[in-house]
Amino acid sequence: MSKVFIYPTNSLILSDLVERFGHNPLAIMSKIREKITTIGVDSPPLNITPKEPEMGLKYAAVEVPAGVRGRMALVGPLIDDAEAAIIVRDATIAFGCMGCARTNELTKFLVRKKDIPILEVEYPDSDEDGQEFVYRIADFLKSLPTGADTQ
Amino acid sequence: MMTDELQNEDTITKIVVISSDSILPADAAMRVYESETSITIKETCFGTMVTGPQDVVERVVEELRSLDRNHIFVKERGFSPGDERRCRASRGGGPRPGFHFLREEVNMLPMIGSALDAYDAHVPLEKKGGRTEKLGISTLMNIIESEL
Amino acid sequence: MTQDDQVIIALVSCGSEYAGIQPELEAAASRLNAKLVYPEMDVSILDTIGMEFGLEVASPDLKLMMARAKAVVDGVARVDGVFVGTCFRCAEAAIVRNEVRRYIFQNSGLPVISYSFTERTTAATLLTRLEALTTIAKRKHLLGRERQTGLTAGVDSGSTTTKAVVMRDNEIIGEGWVPTIKVIDSADKALQQALDQAGVQQDELQAIGTTGYGRFLIGEHYNAQLEQEEITVNSKGAVFLADCQKGHATVIDIGGMDNKAISVEDGIPGMFTMGGICAGASGRFLEMTSKRLGVEITELGDLAVKGMQDKVDMNSYCIVFGIQSLVNSLAKGSSPEDVAAAACHSVVEQIFEQQLQEIEVKEPLILVGGSSLIAGVPKAMGDMLNIDVLVPPHSQMIGAVGAALLVSGYVEE
Repeated sequence: MSKVFIYPTNSLILSDLVERFGHNPLAIMSKIREKITTIGVDSPPLNITPKEPEMGLKYAAVEVPAGVRGRMALVGPLIDDAEAAIIVRDATIAFGCMGCARTNELTKFLVRKKDIPILEVEYPDSDEDGQEFVYRIADFLKSLPTGADTQ
Repeated sequence: MMTDELQNEDTITKIVVISSDSILPADAAMRVYESETSITIKETCFGTMVTGPQDVVERVVEELRSLDRNHIFVKERGFSPGDERRCRASRGGGPRPGFHFLREEVNMLPMIGSALDAYDAHVPLEKKGGRTEKLGISTLMNIIESEL
Repeated sequence: MTQDDQVIIALVSCGSEYAGIQPELEAAASRLNAKLVYPEMDVSILDTIGMEFGLEVASPDLKLMMARAKAVVDGVARVDGVFVGTCFRCAEAAIVRNEVRRYIFQNSGLPVISYSFTERTTAATLLTRLEALTTIAKRKHLLGRERQTGLTAGVDSGSTTTKAVVMRDNEIIGEGWVPTIKVIDSADKALQQALDQAGVQQDELQAIGTTGYGRFLIGEHYNAQLEQEEITVNSKGAVFLADCQKGHATVIDIGGMDNKAISVEDGIPGMFTMGGICAGASGRFLEMTSKRLGVEITELGDLAVKGMQDKVDMNSYCIVFGIQSLVNSLAKGSSPEDVAAAACHSVVEQIFEQQLQEIEVKEPLILVGGSSLIAGVPKAMGDMLNIDVLVPPHSQMIGAVGAALLVSGYVEE
C-alpha cells in the first residue's frame, strides 16, 4: 500500500480511486479532522491558530501571505509523507483549502520537486476523456508497490 | 505519533455518494441502519454521511460500496455533520467551502462509473483524435493573405 | 443588550481562516455584540462573477469574495456592515479587496472596512475598526450631534500623548496635554490641566467621554458615559472644529503611532482606513527627527517650511531606515532645514501612498492630530495633493473635543 498524495487535495474522485485500487489517499480532509479534533485548541472553525502560518515557514518564506502559509501547514506534511502523487490539472473551481491560487501553485511545485512517481492528468469533460482519465489513473495506481513493503 | 493514535480511536465521517441506477440512497441508508448501531448516518443532497468509530465506518462503507461497486464513491470528511464550527445554520449562511467542488465532482461520477465498468471488463481504451492545436503562424498568415 | 442591538457584519474575506486570525475577528465582534456572517449567495454565480466584475482572478476564494459582495449589494444577504479582509502581501487579493470595498460602499451605502491581515493581527487591532463600523451601522444617531451642551469633558488617551478638554455650551474652556506614560496617571494630569484652566472641579462635570488606545481603562477609571473608538470621535471632532459639519470632508489624522484617513459625509465617517505599516509614517518619526536635529518638536515645523525637501533623499517607509537616511544626509552636509522639510514630506508621502489610495479625497481636507501643528506637514500635504489643507484650531485636541461633544448627548438623557 502506497501513500498517494492527491491534487486537488479534497477530491472525492481521486480519494475514492486511490482507495479503490488499494492505496492510502493523502487528502486534506484527514488533516482537517486532525486539526479540529486537537484537544486544547479552540480556534474555530478550523482550529488554525497563528502557529500554523509559522509552521508554514517550512514551505514558504515569511513574505508569502499568512493565508498561504497557514494552508501549507495543512498540505505540506501530506506532501512530505507522499510516496506517489496524482495531480489533476485544470480542476474546476474549489474553495477553502483549495481556494488560494498561490497555495495551489506551491503545492504542485513541491510535489513535482519530489523524487516520487507522479501522474499528471486533466479533468475529463467527455465520456471518452473520462475513460482515458480512469484508465491512466488505474494503471498508475496498479503500478505502485502494494502489500507490506511500505509498512 | 500521539495524535495519530488518538485519531485512530476517534470518530470519523465518510461521505458516500451514490451514482447508481440500481441502488437508491435510501436503500443504502436502510442497509446501514440494519447492520450497525454504533454509527449515525445523515442523508444530504449529494450522498450519505456515515459517522462513527473508524473501523466500523470502514466496514460499513465497504459494505455500501459492494452494493454497486463502480457507482458508489467515498471520501473522508473533516467535520462531522452539523459541526457548529462549519454548519451553515450557525455560520449565518453560505455553503461550506467543500460544497462547490463536491457538486462539480458529483456531476462527473456517471462518466467515472462507466469508465470503471469498462476498465473492469478490459475494454480497450478508445484512442481519440488529438487535441485541437493552435493555428500555426504561417497558416494564419496564409488565411489573412487569402482574405485580402 | 438585546438581539435587536446585535450588528450583523458580513465577512467578505480570503485567507482569514487559514491565517489563524478568525478567532481574533470573532473575539472583536463578540465584544461589540456583533455577529460575523458569511453572506448567503447563489452558487451558480461563481461561474460568471469574475467577468461581471471584469476581474479574472486565479484564486477561487477571491471569486467567492466578489460573489458575496454582490449578495450584499443585491440585498440577498441582509447585513448592517461589511468587513473586507485579505492576506497582507497578496497582490491578487489587494486588487480584489479594493474593488469589492468600493463596489459595496458605492452600491449599498453600507459602512465597509477593509483590512489586510497577517498572522499577528490581534483582536485589539481589529476592535477599533470594527467598533467604528458597528457605531456607524447601528448608532448613527449618536454621531448626529452637532453642538456640545452642558459641562462635559473629553479625554483622548493616545499612544504618545494624552489630551483632555473641558467644554461648556459649545465652547472649549480648558485643555490639557501630557505625554502618555502611565495611562491613568497621564489622563488624570491632562484632565486636571484642563479643569484648572476651565476653573471647574471634576465633580461638576455632567459627563465624561473617553477615546484613544486607553479609552477602556480610563473610561472605567472615570466611570465615563461614553468610551468610543477614535475613528468616529475624531471625524466628529474634526468637522466640529473646522466648522464643516455638513457635506463632504476628508479627515486625515496623523497620530503618534498610526494614521487615519476618513472620508466624512455630514459628520459621519464613510470609507476609512487606519494603519501605517511602520511608525515611519507617523508623528513618532517627526519626533525622532527633531531629537536628532536637536530642536524641540514644536520648532521642527518652522524649520521645515524654510527648507527644501528636494535636496534630501529620504523615504521613511521604515522608521529605522528613515532615521538612517536622515543621519546620512546630515553627514553629507545637508542643512537642518532641508532635513526637516524632507522628514515632513516623507511622512506625508507615506500617508499618500498607503492611505489616500483607499479613500476618495474630497475637499475640504482637514488635517488633525499633533503632527498637523508642525507647519511643514500641512505644507507638504498641500503641495502633494495640490489643494488647500485646513488645520482647524485645537487640531491636536480633536479626539478630546469629539468625545466631549458626543458625550454631551448623554447629559440630556
